[in-house]
Amino acid sequence: MLKARQIDYRHKEFFILNDVDVTLDYGDFLAIVGPNGAGKSSLLSILANEVKQGKQKIMFKNKEISEWEVRELSMHKAKFSQHNSNEIPLQVKDVVMMGRYPYFDSQPRKEDFEAMNKHMYETDVYHLKERDYNTLSGGEKQRVHLSRVMVQVENEIEKKLIFLDEPLNNLDVKHQYKALEIIKKFTQKENSAIVVLHDLNLAAQFANKILLMKSGKVSAYGTPEEVFTAENITQAYNFPCTICAHPVNANPMIIFG
Amino acid sequence: MKTQSKLYLYLTISALLLVVLAIAALYIGVYDFNGLSPFTVLSQYISGDPNLALSDKYVIWDVRAARIIMSILIGSMLAVSGTSLQGLFKNPLATGEAIGLTSGATLLAAIAIVLGGHFKEYLPEMVQFSLTGISAFIGALLAMMLVYRISTSAGKTNVVMMLLSGVAITSIGFSITGFLIYISKDEQLRDLTFWNMGSLAAATWTKNIVLAVVIAISYAVLLPKGKALNAMMLGERDAQHLGINVERLKKQIVIITSLMVGTCVAFSGTIGFVGLIVPYILRLLFKSNYTFILPLSAVLGSILLLIADTISRSIVAPSELPIGILTSLIGGPIFIAILIKFKKSL
Repeated sequence: MLKARQIDYRHKEFFILNDVDVTLDYGDFLAIVGPNGAGKSSLLSILANEVKQGKQKIMFKNKEISEWEVRELSMHKAKFSQHNSNEIPLQVKDVVMMGRYPYFDSQPRKEDFEAMNKHMYETDVYHLKERDYNTLSGGEKQRVHLSRVMVQVENEIEKKLIFLDEPLNNLDVKHQYKALEIIKKFTQKENSAIVVLHDLNLAAQFANKILLMKSGKVSAYGTPEEVFTAENITQAYNFPCTICAHPVNANPMIIFG
Repeated sequence: MKTQSKLYLYLTISALLLVVLAIAALYIGVYDFNGLSPFTVLSQYISGDPNLALSDKYVIWDVRAARIIMSILIGSMLAVSGTSLQGLFKNPLATGEAIGLTSGATLLAAIAIVLGGHFKEYLPEMVQFSLTGISAFIGALLAMMLVYRISTSAGKTNVVMMLLSGVAITSIGFSITGFLIYISKDEQLRDLTFWNMGSLAAATWTKNIVLAVVIAISYAVLLPKGKALNAMMLGERDAQHLGINVERLKKQIVIITSLMVGTCVAFSGTIGFVGLIVPYILRLLFKSNYTFILPLSAVLGSILLLIADTISRSIVAPSELPIGILTSLIGGPIFIAILIKFKKSL
């Protein structure tokens, strides 16, 4: 689905990313984890074709991502950004409807409204439909944007990809799980997701691949069991931890301190 | 379906209102058609009635009708250019006047009027004929590119920088225009005063045809951009993810708004604040949903300028008040109102 080799990204002389390889298969739920400033967001940005720099090639569905036609590409992939704009003087439903922009020309059609309503229910923002976006709380805004991203990839195309940069920020526990379940459900239909996460335990529970980063480099890559060892994590975060099996689902459980 | 029919409903209502106002404006004026109603005279003219007096014909068709149509066209263009600029800069304070577009256009138009005589003969005939118009367009375009370069980096607009660079361009324009007034001859002086005040008194049908062509081209490109301008509110990167070719969109807006502002300045001088007032009113009703306010500003701009022009030519009849005075009188307080509202985010 997505292949990137030897990604370098630097700001002046300072390497933000240094020789990073990423391979993603159909159906993968890849979590990018790592301490602050490890280059997680930069990596996601480059993979999503936001930053064009250097000569590295990113192949999306066996075609270089920069060669895709912009509108066509927007039906195959969507991105949830970390710094969502705070001031959007529109109603919530208008913001979610933006996700349908690739699909209609001047005015939304019936299926656009259906898709919008469906995903507003799933992300639990349907009751905020008529509210002004600017009056929402931080977590509600996050859910509105998650809804917008999911609406964008609601179509008949197979094997789509979503990028999410810290989608759980500001969300309460229930909505954190809900958001991850929505993403998981999406990847179970042969679609893929690349998600930057901070909570290692949630990453272990939902993702099937983990990319652990430190200082612009990949320090471990593999399944949660492979990556989440006490040694890897202590080294990456420079903080002691213990790993045990999760009492309910047997995933690795990380306890810091 | 629901929103679509709503938009068309509002468009139809405002278009009807515009037609009613245009007919009403036909009735207002000093000239007396020997007791006949102006509308009857106009229909006589259109049907080619041979009994129509030459002076009646001139007043109804070449003076009043031409002026009404010109105010409709200019008003519409100024409003749409204001709305598109606000979409591009993501800020309701961005208008041709505030960011120096109008000054840039006025400046180059003034240079063309005063100094044009010296180099006009070297230019091709087509360019000679429309020298003022082309200069105004180039002036607007240069000002626009300068402001955009200064105020926008990495897809984010710094509002303070945007307004201040507008102030700088305006003051440069003001001083050079002042100098040109100082060195200009009598006839040029009258032309220059006209630029600075703004007036629709010089309306002719030839100008209207040129304006109509510019409008047709500009609207074909700009009016379908409502969605794209909405998406820009998310930021340029996210707009790109929604399938919008952001670089192309920005270029189109820069060129088309410069073309519209330049043409308006060339034909009617500086009529300020239409591009601020109209979107402001529409935002009160429809928030910032550009799929609504972009097409509606095309009609509301016409309504506003038609009313303002009719007042300006009747309030001190038989003389007339420069229209720029009226629009700035409404626009200034609105500008302050928006400033106060945005005080916290600036």
